[in-house]
Amino acid sequence: MPKALKPLIVIVLAVAVAAGAAVYLSRQPDRPEETAAPTRADIKGGGHIRGPEKAALTLVEFGDYQCPSCGAYHPLVKEILNRYPQQLRLEFHHFPLVTIHPNSMLASKAAEAAGEQGRYWEMHDALFDHQREWSDSPNAEPIFVALASQMGLDSNKFMQGLRSPQLQDRILQDVEQGQNAKVDAVPTFFINSERVHIKLSMEDFVQVIEAHLPK
Amino acid sequence: MKARFAVIAILAFIGMVDALYLSIKRNAGPIPCHVTRGCTDVLTSRYSEIVGIPISWFGVGFYIVMFSLAAFKVFEDPQYPSHGLTGLIFYLAGAALVISSLLVGIQAFILKAFCEYCLLSAALVLSMFILAPSPARRKLPE
Repeated sequence: MPKALKPLIVIVLAVAVAAGAAVYLSRQPDRPEETAAPTRADIKGGGHIRGPEKAALTLVEFGDYQCPSCGAYHPLVKEILNRYPQQLRLEFHHFPLVTIHPNSMLASKAAEAAGEQGRYWEMHDALFDHQREWSDSPNAEPIFVALASQMGLDSNKFMQGLRSPQLQDRILQDVEQGQNAKVDAVPTFFINSERVHIKLSMEDFVQVIEAHLPK
Repeated sequence: MKARFAVIAILAFIGMVDALYLSIKRNAGPIPCHVTRGCTDVLTSRYSEIVGIPISWFGVGFYIVMFSLAAFKVFEDPQYPSHGLTGLIFYLAGAALVISSLLVGIQAFILKAFCEYCLLSAALVLSMFILAPSPARRKLPE
C-alpha cells in the first residue's frame, strides 16, 4: 500500500463520519433555548393582524426585519396562512434586535409608516423579500423610500412616519410585550398564547398547526 | 511526538463536527443554546459571514486541513519527519487563534451574546495551538 494512502483513507473516513454526525445532531429535536422561559404567555393587544378575525388559531410572531432567520421563515409563514385561510391568522409583533441589527428599528418604522397609509403588509413582505438589499447598507433609508415609492405610497407622509416618535413608541410597546413574554430570540412563535418551536420546514409548520386546530 | 498530532487530529475532528453542525443549522431556523445565551443572535449577526459566506464554512475548511495535516504527521516515517508539515500546523493554528480571539471579542464586546458552539471552536483552536510543536524549538540536526 502506498505510504500516502493510509492517511488519505483516514481523512476521507473522518470527513464522512463528521458529516454524518453533524447531520444526525442537526436533526435532533431542539430543546428550548431558555429552559426558564415560560411555555405560555399572555400577549394582549398590539401587533398587526393578517387573516380572519374569527380564526380558531392565532399565530403570534415576534420578528426582526433584519434577522436572516425571520427572512427565511417569512415565505413559510405566508404559505401556512394560505393553506389555512379560515382557521389561522398571523399577529406580527416587532422585536428588533438593535444591538446586532442596526437597520432593524428603521425597517420596523418603515413597516409602520406604510401602515399609516394602509399598506403595512405590503411593506412587511417587501422588507423581507428585499432583506439582502438593505440589510448591510450603511444608509438603508433611501432603499425603504424607494420601496414605498414602488408601492405608490406618498413619499412625504412616509418620510414623516420614519421620524414619528408615535410609531417608534408603538414598536417599543411590541418589544416590551416580547420582553414580558421572555422572548430573547427571533423569530419566536406562539399559538394561542402557547410558545411553540417550529423548524424551518413546511412539514413542521403543518404538523404544529394541525396539532393545535380544534378537533 | 506522534501522540501530539493524534490529539490534534481528534480535536480537529471535533471541530469539523461542530462547524458542520453550525453550517447546517444556520439555515434551519433558530439555533438552540444549552449553556450560553444568544446563539441565534451571534449566528445571524452581520459578523457571522464574510462576503455572504457563513464563517462556519471557513471553519469546516480549516478543520479539514488541520485534520489532514495531523493525519499525515501521524502516519509519516519517523526517520524522515516533515518539518514543513509541522511548521504549517503551528502557523495555521496560530492564525486561527488570532481569528478566534477576534470573534470571541466581537461576541463579548459588540454583540454581548455568546454562542457555545463558537466558544467550543475557540477552545479547540487554542488547544491545537498549545499542542502544535513550534518550528522554532525544533532540534537542529547534529
